[in-house]
Amino acid sequence: MLKQRLIDALGADAVKTEAEDLAVYAFDAYSQGVVPAAVVLPANTREVAAAVKIAKDCGEPIVARGAGTGLCGGAAPARGGIVFSFARMNRVLEVDVRNRRARVQPGLINLDLSKHVAASGLFYAPDPSSQKVSTIGGNIGTNAGGPHCLSYGTTVNHILELEIVDENGDVTTTSVDDVGYDLTGVLVGSEGTLAIVCSAWVRLLRQPETVRVWLAAFDDINAASAAVTGIIGAGIIPTALEMLDRVMLPPIEAAFHAGYPTDAAAVLLIESAGFEDEMNLHENEIRRVMKENGATTWRAAKSQAERDALWAGRKGALGATGRLAPNYYIQDVVVPRTKLPQALKAVEDACAPQGIIAGNVFHAGDGNLHPLLLYDRGDPKQVAAVIEAGNEILKAAVDLGGTISGEHGIGYEKRDTLRRIFSTDDLATMSRVREVFDPRRNLNPEKIFPAGVGCAEVA
Amino acid sequence: MIAAAAPDKVTPKSLDALRETLGRCDREGLKISIEGGKTLSGMGPVLPRADVSLITTGLSAILAHEYHDLTCSAQSGVRVAQLNAVLGEHGQFVPIDVPLRKKATIGGSLAAGWPGPRRHIYGRARDFVIGSQVALADGTLANAGGMVVKNVSGYDMSKLYIGSFGTLAIFTQLNFKTLPVPKKRRAMIAPLPEATRARAIERIASLVVPPAAAFCVEGFGKNVDGADDIDGRVLLYFEGTEELLERATLDTRSVLGKAGVPETSIVDTGAAESLDRTIDACIANKRGRSITYRLFGSPGTAQERAERMRDACNRHELFTDVLFDVMNGDVFVRASERDASHFGAKIEACHAELRELEPRCSIVACDSAARASFEAWGAVPAAIEKMRAIKARFDPHGTLNPGRFIGGI
Ligand SMILES: Cc1cc2nc3c(=O)[nH]c(=O)nc-3n(C[C@H](O)[C@H](O)[C@@H](O)COP(=O)(O)OP(=O)(O)OC[C@H]3O[C@@H](n4cnc5c(N)ncnc54)[C@H](O)[C@@H]3O)c2cc1C
Ligand SMILES: Cc1cc2nc3c(=O)[nH]c(=O)nc-3n(C[C@H](O)[C@H](O)[C@H](O)COP(=O)(O)OP(=O)(O)OC[C@H]3O[C@@H](n4cnc5c(N)ncnc54)[C@H](O)[C@@H]3O)c2cc1C
Repeated sequence: MLKQRLIDALGADAVKTEAEDLAVYAFDAYSQGVVPAAVVLPANTREVAAAVKIAKDCGEPIVARGAGTGLCGGAAPARGGIVFSFARMNRVLEVDVRNRRARVQPGLINLDLSKHVAASGLFYAPDPSSQKVSTIGGNIGTNAGGPHCLSYGTTVNHILELEIVDENGDVTTTSVDDVGYDLTGVLVGSEGTLAIVCSAWVRLLRQPETVRVWLAAFDDINAASAAVTGIIGAGIIPTALEMLDRVMLPPIEAAFHAGYPTDAAAVLLIESAGFEDEMNLHENEIRRVMKENGATTWRAAKSQAERDALWAGRKGALGATGRLAPNYYIQDVVVPRTKLPQALKAVEDACAPQGIIAGNVFHAGDGNLHPLLLYDRGDPKQVAAVIEAGNEILKAAVDLGGTISGEHGIGYEKRDTLRRIFSTDDLATMSRVREVFDPRRNLNPEKIFPAGVGCAEVA
Repeated sequence: MIAAAAPDKVTPKSLDALRETLGRCDREGLKISIEGGKTLSGMGPVLPRADVSLITTGLSAILAHEYHDLTCSAQSGVRVAQLNAVLGEHGQFVPIDVPLRKKATIGGSLAAGWPGPRRHIYGRARDFVIGSQVALADGTLANAGGMVVKNVSGYDMSKLYIGSFGTLAIFTQLNFKTLPVPKKRRAMIAPLPEATRARAIERIASLVVPPAAAFCVEGFGKNVDGADDIDGRVLLYFEGTEELLERATLDTRSVLGKAGVPETSIVDTGAAESLDRTIDACIANKRGRSITYRLFGSPGTAQERAERMRDACNRHELFTDVLFDVMNGDVFVRASERDASHFGAKIEACHAELRELEPRCSIVACDSAARASFEAWGAVPAAIEKMRAIKARFDPHGTLNPGRFIGGI
């Protein structure tokens, strides 16, 4: 019945119901959820709306899915239902070069957008490390960040207009230029719990005239943290300011030959973009700060190829962990930048006593840590230890005045942890927005909100 | 007609006092008008009914400036200039580009949520708010975000309140990320006759070092720079290092020269004040005989939209002052008349024509008499029904600024 109605509306090619086809849609990069009853691959907004109406009639929950690279269980269905894949809605629809913006479909791969507009001298700034695979729709869902968000801002700063389908199957648009409530701002980062994004106008930036990338190595990780604060304190906000630690440097170097020193306690990867004279100024100032904080190595990438190599190592870091352990669990917490030394120590304290090795590759300029807890999924003891250590890291971040997610989102993983930073009143207030958009909680159920919040209203 | 009684004025000095007032009004069905610095009282309709004026300036504490972390936190009644003076002690600021900033409060500014002319480099007000606390209509306090610069923990509720004109909740506290104060500033001014305009602004928009703000202005002489021009001029404002200003000056002279603009003058002392005056001009009102309209849109169409609106006003024999933001596309047109007694009749027809041309233009400055007779906000956005539902869910008794915002929300 469900299957037939979906096929009538979307065509047989666009509907999957065979068990072997469905199994992969139970997962995202974090967890396994419930295998959905069907997967649809709509070709346009009209088909999305039609499928939503059918889902509603049949009482099936809806889960929007990009590339499934999410790290908090966001796209893994908690109750099965119908998964909406945007693999067929993956095009750039329009580029407005004069006004530096583009209209894109949600299934478009992040990096493909920058490639598409490169010839016009433009690029799309948010650059999650998953950008070769993850989609603009998924990035909007999680308000994705990336190394270059330090100066350019996260996804929400780059979304101008959204075309959405709500839980009734009605299509509407929201724009940051609308006079009225900023629905665009709330929809970005709502992890598919408020509406389905069917297209977006995004902001493009002009490629800078000059880009410089520098590497500084330290034999003490706290000195590297102090150097991070030093750069910002000098009044410079680089375009990216990343840290890699002693655990991560050797495997990354072995995998990418990026040119990282393998014996350092920490490496800072710093990028600044602008025009020549200003970059000279930044270079002098940043080098001074590095030296003052005891950097043992200082290098400036001399060519595009060297810059690319340094970045390839950073962006491929997660993949390189395979050389250290069969599995990794990546945390995502933020602390005030000056608390980095305490936060890194807390990671160490949470992991070492349990015998877990933790590596760190992260957005130091934002205070956004990504401890990588290395383990073997086959060993239940290790799994339990990793979960416990992860919790301790979350607790430490909150105690240091920070938060429980900087860019990966809450999803299924952290929904109960949300109570650590928000009161019942805070959560009930958020829930009011959910009640307006999705009163029956049919859009990506059991995500973001801790079990119990707002349930009284639903019953 | 019976004149409505003047609303009671209440200026809570503590959160508890604010919550108490809210709770009481919400229970008793009293309508609250929220007041910050009142600098934007010429925008939007006059409230159909207000029993209590709730003045936020009693909540005036600057709570924290974590200057090593580039963050700060303050109560909503703090004035914008005061906040920036305190941040300035450590060489930092928050880029809230408000008119009359000695009076304007941070709460009122964010409630209005007007994106400023430097947003193409610093982002919108909503992009540097990292956390907030609000009081809901029934007095409940709700927090969102935090004190860190990156955060995706739950819905970003601050964004919903920013720009909601106090119709959903009252800001009590705002947390910002701060920026280092630019080392130097420079304003550049050049005459810009209509024939050179399109070429010149396209080139300005593509400068390697973009101006922090750029306006094309016709009229507004008294408000902006005392110029008595008829042909128009361009005001560019740069900020940053010495190196940046040098490069910007060189490039700007070159592109303007190529566009046929003969001379460019430089103003270094008073450059910041010059930007302030331009921002103030956007809501400068001539008592009883002017209306200023604002229209958002893309930068590529700003000139065309501005000229279309200006020509409409001219057809109705109204004086016009025109100003548009070259980098972001905001257009301001002020229609006025020397003689107040002729203004009413002319503006009525002109207003109707402007709304026909540009249904989304909003009135941002005029006296209350005119605001009572014209729909102030313009055409409702596509998602108005969702907005209505949100208002109903957040303020079920219609206690907060009822009828203040678009579509009567
Ligand atoms: C050209 C131009 C550029 C601007 N650029 C910016 C900018 O970059 N960034 C920016 O933030 N603003 C900007 N603004 C301005 C800003 O939005 C207002 O002008 C503002 O500063 C009003 O402050 P006020 O305290 O006088 O508010 P009021 O005039 O007192 O109030 C404005 C509105 O907010 C409500 N309100 C007041 N206080 C609160 C509160 N605590 N909680 C909830 N609602 C409240 C009031 O009821 C009213 O509806 C700009 C304005 C102009 C004209
Ligand atoms: C190796 C690796 C590196 C990563 N690096 C980063 C990084 O640097 N920064 C970062 O922020 N994240 C990073 N991530 C996490 C992940 O890539 C991001 O969260 C990304 O935004 C997810 O995109 P996706 O297309 O895979 O979406 P999915 O995982 O499929 O979905 C993510 C969320 O968005 C929702 N969603 C998807 N499409 C839509 C739509 N059309 N409408 C409404 N909701 C929708 C889903 O329901 C889900 O809640 C990384 C992940 C991996 C595996």
